[in-house]
Amino acid sequence: MQSSNSKADRKAARFFGIPGILPYVKPYRKKLIFIICLGMISSCIDAATPLFNRYALNHFVGERTLDTLAVFITLYVIVLSLQVADNFLSTSICGQVEVEVNRDLRDASFTHLQNLSFSYFNQNPVGYIHARVMSDTSKIGETVAWHMMDIVWCGSYVVAVLVVMLCIHRPLALAMVGVVLLSALVSALFQRAMVRYERIVREQNAVITGDFNEGITGSLTVKLLGIAAKMDRSFFRDTEKMRRTSVGSARVGAFFTASVALMSQTALALVLWQGGILNREGVMMIGTLSVFLSYALGIMEPIRQLVRTFSRLTAISASIERFTDLMNTEPGIRDSEEVVERYGDSFNPKKENWEELYGDVEFEDVTFIYPDGEEKVLEHFSLKVKRGQNVAIVGETGAGKSTLVNLICRFYEPVEGRVLIDGRDVRERSLLWLHSHIGYVLQTPYLFSGSIRENLKYGRENATDEEIMQALAMVSADGIVKAMEQGLDSEVGEGGMSLSTGEKQLISFARALLSDPAILILDEATSSVDTVTEQKIQKAISVLTKDRTSFVIAHRLSTIVDSDLILAVSEGRIVEQGTHRELMQRKGYYYTLYTRQFEQLAVDSIDKNKNI
Amino acid sequence: MSAKVTKDQSRSRTYTRSGLVMYMTEHCRILFLLSVAFTGLASVFDLVGPKIVEYTVDLILSDEDRGVSLWVLSLIDRLGGRELLRAEIWRIALMVLGVALCAAVLRYLSQMCGSRGAERMVKQMRDRLFAHIIRLPETWYGQNHTGDLIQRCTSDVDTVKSFVADQLTTLIRVILLILLSCIFMVGIDLRMTLVAMAFLPVIVGYSFFFHVKIGETFLQADTEEGKVSAMVQENLTGIRVVRAFGREMYEKERFLTKNKAYTALWVRLMRLLSAFWATSDLISGLQVMSVMVLGAVLCVHGEMNTGSYIAFVSYNAMLIWPVRELGRVISDLSKAGVSMDRILAVLNSSIESERPGSGGSALGNEISFRNVSFRYPGAASAALRDVSFTIPAGATVGIIGGTGSGKTTLVRLLTALYDLPEDSGEILLGGRSLRDWDRDEIRNTVSVVTQEPFLFSGTIRENLRIALPEEEKEERIEKNGEISDKSGNAADSSKADPLSEAEEVAIRRAALTGTLERFTRGIETPVGERGVTLSGGQKQRLAIARMLMKHGSVMIFDDSLSAVDASTDRIIRDRLEEMRSTEAEGERPTVIMIAHRITTVMNADLIIVMDHGTVSQMGTHEELIKQEGIYQKIFSLQTAE
Repeated sequence: MQSSNSKADRKAARFFGIPGILPYVKPYRKKLIFIICLGMISSCIDAATPLFNRYALNHFVGERTLDTLAVFITLYVIVLSLQVADNFLSTSICGQVEVEVNRDLRDASFTHLQNLSFSYFNQNPVGYIHARVMSDTSKIGETVAWHMMDIVWCGSYVVAVLVVMLCIHRPLALAMVGVVLLSALVSALFQRAMVRYERIVREQNAVITGDFNEGITGSLTVKLLGIAAKMDRSFFRDTEKMRRTSVGSARVGAFFTASVALMSQTALALVLWQGGILNREGVMMIGTLSVFLSYALGIMEPIRQLVRTFSRLTAISASIERFTDLMNTEPGIRDSEEVVERYGDSFNPKKENWEELYGDVEFEDVTFIYPDGEEKVLEHFSLKVKRGQNVAIVGETGAGKSTLVNLICRFYEPVEGRVLIDGRDVRERSLLWLHSHIGYVLQTPYLFSGSIRENLKYGRENATDEEIMQALAMVSADGIVKAMEQGLDSEVGEGGMSLSTGEKQLISFARALLSDPAILILDEATSSVDTVTEQKIQKAISVLTKDRTSFVIAHRLSTIVDSDLILAVSEGRIVEQGTHRELMQRKGYYYTLYTRQFEQLAVDSIDKNKNI
Repeated sequence: MSAKVTKDQSRSRTYTRSGLVMYMTEHCRILFLLSVAFTGLASVFDLVGPKIVEYTVDLILSDEDRGVSLWVLSLIDRLGGRELLRAEIWRIALMVLGVALCAAVLRYLSQMCGSRGAERMVKQMRDRLFAHIIRLPETWYGQNHTGDLIQRCTSDVDTVKSFVADQLTTLIRVILLILLSCIFMVGIDLRMTLVAMAFLPVIVGYSFFFHVKIGETFLQADTEEGKVSAMVQENLTGIRVVRAFGREMYEKERFLTKNKAYTALWVRLMRLLSAFWATSDLISGLQVMSVMVLGAVLCVHGEMNTGSYIAFVSYNAMLIWPVRELGRVISDLSKAGVSMDRILAVLNSSIESERPGSGGSALGNEISFRNVSFRYPGAASAALRDVSFTIPAGATVGIIGGTGSGKTTLVRLLTALYDLPEDSGEILLGGRSLRDWDRDEIRNTVSVVTQEPFLFSGTIRENLRIALPEEEKEERIEKNGEISDKSGNAADSSKADPLSEAEEVAIRRAALTGTLERFTRGIETPVGERGVTLSGGQKQRLAIARMLMKHGSVMIFDDSLSAVDASTDRIIRDRLEEMRSTEAEGERPTVIMIAHRITTVMNADLIIVMDHGTVSQMGTHEELIKQEGIYQKIFSLQTAE
């Protein structure tokens, strides 16, 4: 963490990390150049506007004549229209560039994520990755468009005003430059303090959100332990801390605002003093003095804005850094160039070159260590599974049952040895080819929001409604769909929210069945469901695994007992293998495991017995 | 502080929107008023600045004293007269600075009062919400989603805060500024003031209607963003499904479509916004021009002094920006209403009713259910039907039964998480109806470990001690704080405080000793969101230890050994038994074990078999295995090997 921070700082020092996102900005370079031009024109017009006032004062008021009034008005309207048109164009193009750069960044990061290895997803929580794709990108787009615009406008406004002032009266203008530099310095100092405070406030805010989260999700425990008053006190302490920090932050902000206002008044006083003397001596006309006065007041805000923008850039460089880090993360597991050449990649598969998958699976002297682990989970492990065989993997939670499955699916690759499918190394063919032929049913069935049909078509894109209903019927899930008013069009809600766990499982079975995989991997759910569903699930599993090479991370007795081969896993190692009968006779690890599981499941089967 | 809030709870009042604002601003109203007053004063000083410039131009730099009031002239005389000031203009510059300094100080004070008030208000609101939320009954939690609740406590609170602290004060400030500058401007020239002010309703009105109209498009964009965001969330959560079915391409296309729709909406929004900005630029530009031209004409006709003209133009420039903001602020006001209603919905839900406790118990902690029936609110069928049993004080009781047989409902009723309606039987604790017990008193007597225990973020030690009186705990925290402050990282390795006896005993009895030894930081290991992830069994055991620290006289294990293996289950039960045997006869705690496993309950003094909300069998293990029934069936199944 520390090292990545300092790395971020180093990069931030180099143009706020902007070089990293240049490729995404490049398509918009013409628009950006256009915006820069518009911004400069706009600032020049803004800088020139007080000159109208000067003319009005010097000519109309000073010389008591209205002779050029019509020209004055016409010119003013023309300049105003120009300004309005310029502002309209620059803001709308700027906005467009912002949202389009955002879109491109989101597209790129999302697409990139689809190729990253599972180890990345295991190491980074969903919320973290989500923030990279959604919030970091939007900050970058804002920087590219608006912050650049701000810098251009403010910068050229300040320059233009200084130039005009220098043209009108050099000594006074030079005095103004001094004031400007001073105020920029003061602003920069304040801004640094404010950024620091903002961070503390944000952190404290996260603490309070955490407190609320805990109070809400832990409300039952709070009541049962009778600690509500204590929770109150600890929460009040946190909010008090938040209040103090916020007030502290506000103090810096208020002091900043006040001193900037004071500085622009200082500039005004300076101009009034020196300009007054010049006027008294007849060197400077009243209109010119008035222009100086308005410049003195007007130049402070852009300077403050400039300082603010630059300090924002420092904050945003962290977002840029995180984004480029994501984009620079290489998928740990990827197809070799030859494989891509022949089989295509995830987004452009060359299906014409794809072979069928027959269904033999072999582990050949495999040694495996998880990328974030140190222990050898598998060591010189060999196993041959013939097409159509059913393998059950059993063991305690966290014993490492998923390891074999992860290797077959090539979510991870062995450190030594090979995993062979139909006698060929999995690495010889593309990931997409492999995944298209393997069916994987997860322990916690995951459905996407959308209709049931859309979810089932996830298994096979071109499946007809008949095929879908057939698959549903085979896993006894047709009843679920028929009971719904809109049938296959019924929405399942986010994560399949509107369905029960058992229903979700059955639907995910149907989804796997539709993809008709040569190899099936099934991670049985441990959660208890009602008796009827339980029976349906058991039946569905036997339908699914029939005549298919299958690996089942098993919790159900029937699945275990009937399988062709049982692998018992303990503490990350395969300790026993054989059929149920063989292992029971051995009276070893499997035996204890089995008898204990049997005990636990017994209670759930009471109701079943009653029904029979 | 907490006592005050608790008293508030008992009032349990219902708030209206304005009532909520009044409550929130209870302790900060003065600050807000001060803030507004300071702003008003600051505005006056702001407006005085151009006045000085005006008189400087008119009276010092030239001699246009036409229409200048007498007191100004006398003021100038008192300052040394025109001649002196003309000779030493720096005096005027100093005056400008002085006025500016006053304005700056006042503005600073105003902002400080404002933000102090706002922060005090937010604290009040958050505290109130938190205290309310953790006291809401469990029935209420059944009907509300966590995510939505957190939203209400965080972003809705922020919205209401910015409504009161920013929007309302901005509104008052801008109106004050308009009024004050009106007075100053009228003082200079009425006709010009009328021209300048004529534009204001147009600018404000246009801005208001635009923001109201565009509000819908903003909402639409929010919805679209929500869709994109949800899609990313789903894709990341279900990434294994995506890979397993090889559907990366499909996902990518779906995302591109959604992202495109969202972007298109924003491009449109941006164009609308630019058009709005451009149009209001035009209107303000025309306003400035009108003022300028009219001023020039008046000057030429000799009806206005040069200085007055300059001052008027400055006032006008001061007004334009705040007025342009005004329309947006007014249109934003309506947004706060929605957030306020969402907060009110929480605050106006009634919390667990307070019940007066009355006296001690004559019968120790005997628990007795008499013809208890219960149906959950909104449920179709009853969870308990005519349940009666008595658990003598100090007994060990097992409760066994299938899913949905009503085991947990018994616990929820006994701990007053749900209230038993009148006429649905009676629950007695220590011979006294539960309805006559104070809730905290009940929960101090009856401790429960649930199947999926909740641990608080903090260290294992903090979790263990959470139910203890605070003084002890705080002392410890401070000590630890010192240690980690002084030695920094070294505190990690040098195990902080040794275990106290009570901790040691609780940890040993919950069979956690070995687990703690495996953590490098031992009992100071952080758990929960920002700490080590504990397994289900470890959590259960830690919760058991937490309960043991509390020394309740009734201990309920609600399926809380389900995630530990059979041998650990055994160890924990043995140690509980050992603990009970060391206590004197009359002080033994009552232990209620709710379980699936026969072995967990078989040694109990009494076993209650639940089935579909009724007590189906009751007796000791020996008696029950002889009876034909569910117990016998479970027993034969579990011992089949």
